[in-house]
Amino acid sequence: MSRQDQDSTQGPTTGGGEPAADGGESVDPDGADTRWATPAHDESAGSAIVGEDLAIGYPSTDDPIVECARLDVPQGEITALVGPNGSGKSTLLKCLARELAPERGGVVLNGRALQERSSKELARELGHLSQEHDSPSTLTVEDLCYHGRYPYRGLFDSLSEADDRAVERAMSLAGVDHLADAELGQLSGGQRQLAWIAMVLAQDTEVLLLDEPTTFLDLHHQLRVLETLRKLNADEGVTVCVVLHDIAQAARFADYLVALRDGEPYDWGPPREVVTEELLADVFRVDAAVRYTPEPEVIPRYALAEESDEEGTADPVTDTTPEESATDTTEKSGAGVTDADGRRSDDDAE
Amino acid sequence: MATDIDTATDRQRGRASLVDGRLLSLCLGSSFVVVASLLVQVSFGTYSMSIPEAWGAVADAAVWTNPQVLFRFLLGEGLGNIVASTLGFSTAEVDLATATNIVWNIRLPRVFVAILAGMALAVSGAIFQAVTRNELASPFILGVSSGAGLTVLLTLVVFSGATFVVPLTAGAVVLDPTALLPFTAALGGAIAFALVYAIAWKGGTSPVRLVLAGVVVSTVFQSLQRALFTFASDIGVVQQALAWTTGSLTGVGWGQVRVALPGTLLAVVLALLLARQLNVLLLGEKTARSLGMPVERMRLGLSVVAIVAAAASIAVAGIVSFVGLIVPHVVRNVVGSDYRKLIVGCLFVGPALLCAADVGARLFFEVVFDQPQQLHVGIVTGLVGGPYFLYLMRKQDTMGEL
Repeated sequence: MSRQDQDSTQGPTTGGGEPAADGGESVDPDGADTRWATPAHDESAGSAIVGEDLAIGYPSTDDPIVECARLDVPQGEITALVGPNGSGKSTLLKCLARELAPERGGVVLNGRALQERSSKELARELGHLSQEHDSPSTLTVEDLCYHGRYPYRGLFDSLSEADDRAVERAMSLAGVDHLADAELGQLSGGQRQLAWIAMVLAQDTEVLLLDEPTTFLDLHHQLRVLETLRKLNADEGVTVCVVLHDIAQAARFADYLVALRDGEPYDWGPPREVVTEELLADVFRVDAAVRYTPEPEVIPRYALAEESDEEGTADPVTDTTPEESATDTTEKSGAGVTDADGRRSDDDAE
Repeated sequence: MATDIDTATDRQRGRASLVDGRLLSLCLGSSFVVVASLLVQVSFGTYSMSIPEAWGAVADAAVWTNPQVLFRFLLGEGLGNIVASTLGFSTAEVDLATATNIVWNIRLPRVFVAILAGMALAVSGAIFQAVTRNELASPFILGVSSGAGLTVLLTLVVFSGATFVVPLTAGAVVLDPTALLPFTAALGGAIAFALVYAIAWKGGTSPVRLVLAGVVVSTVFQSLQRALFTFASDIGVVQQALAWTTGSLTGVGWGQVRVALPGTLLAVVLALLLARQLNVLLLGEKTARSLGMPVERMRLGLSVVAIVAAAASIAVAGIVSFVGLIVPHVVRNVVGSDYRKLIVGCLFVGPALLCAADVGARLFFEVVFDQPQQLHVGIVTGLVGGPYFLYLMRKQDTMGEL
């Protein structure tokens, strides 16, 4: 489904967009299109991942943190898990990646239960970039990407041509091929995150799970990360499921949203149906204006008072943080996506 | 576009990245130190010979042109002859000059043991540092040394004098307990590490818990070691035991080379082959797992390799402190954290450190005070390693993280 999809989804946007400012760069993923393909949810698409009757907790906690009767990650689309701090979105993602075994229920990936696979088999079908990873400072970007080939190599196997090709492709998709020899310690946080994404891409999986890949990045690199995912989804039909901190960004970027509140899905569906003023009040505890111009815009106004009879899982201060950064993002991203400054800062770091 | 050319060079670079100028100079420098130590070591001793005489003995053609002589040194009288004859070499006796005999039988093996022990300790430390994700890890910290030391002492104190006869098709081989030392040492090291692992286990292990458990276990085992001194029958055994617990190369010969060689060789080869696994472990446990690595099993397997290495060295040289800790640090500072390079570097820097330290241990009193006493090499590595480690700690803010 890859090629046609790319054409049909990218067609409308490339025409209107101004030619990319960085057309001279050898990195073609950026050069082609600075705008995202329009998110579109296809009802008829099957589910790449289905979670059923899930109860997920940690060994240290008594009660499950997430309970979910059914969760669908639509095939070939970008799904964003959103929710305030402590709503269980990362926990849910860990369960989908088999990092955390559910206390009850099961996860089915591409029609087969998750635990029927060996760990390498799973790693060939499902890529997972967790929030916690260590970057040895002297490791080069290219060597990091070669680690992404781990599930394809036996204990003592050397590299094959296929490994070389996959790494080249991954680095060019993530736009880090010009940094191949750079050591992780020399890179900015955003470049490092792109390098990590390139590593997961080198795994060459049909499904990709990412836990808050844009958190702590500057705006330019946040968008670079999201563009890479969009491009990957459009070009290769990769199913992406991503935890995003920022509801406004998620609304613009994802085909499908799952909003979590207190460990339970509150609503799910295409962003247009899910992102409403009511959701922002109920889930995020903020009063916000939601407009479509036609891009979704979320303008948070103030934090709502904590409901006194709530369990009180998260305090109001932390609850509002995501929205504050969300304002930032929407306003700026509306103005111009990849501005020259962002590029230049990128080059300076080399 | 020029992308085609770029990707072609990319590929070459990916393959050739192991050739590293810094690593090469590190290895050359270390080799120089080892050769220099070797030449110094063979030049001194109770039998007086001139330096040209001693160096000439090292290069003696009577040794180098008769493979059976080398085989007999390396594998022992019986096995050496068997191997030499199966390979089609003569097994004739070769008359060696006195100087050659002394250099080859007494002075050189000590250097070879230092080389092997240095390699083994450095590789062991490097592996443990990756497995526990802690720069402060070493066989010493994780209790492996104390466990191995305890069983070595037990063997020496309790079973001294006993012999074991192993019947073979080509005649029986008589083993005294020292031949079993690598096995008892490995057993002790494994028991200690299993204890450490069990104490640290809580639905998985963490680097910090592993190190803390290691400190607990090694403290207990060290107490037990001291307790054993009380049961030693005579002062000679106590002295010998003391040499073991400090780490000493005094009086080692070809027998110790034969004891240390198999374990060291095995561990080194496995470490080189598994360097990539160690690199993946450095990306963090979660990443390693999401890439499909069975993390706990891999950690355990790698730990076994590290225990084998540590045991090989402890069996012949006792507990030489700081080598397993310092050497990986030195190498990491020069070549970075890539274990494919780090292990190679350790194979050169470990021997260099231990050989140089042994020169100091053996000759310091003899040269400076004209006294015949020798220090234990463990004392020298401790004296040199401690301050160096302190210097590293001061210099690097990120010390302790890997």
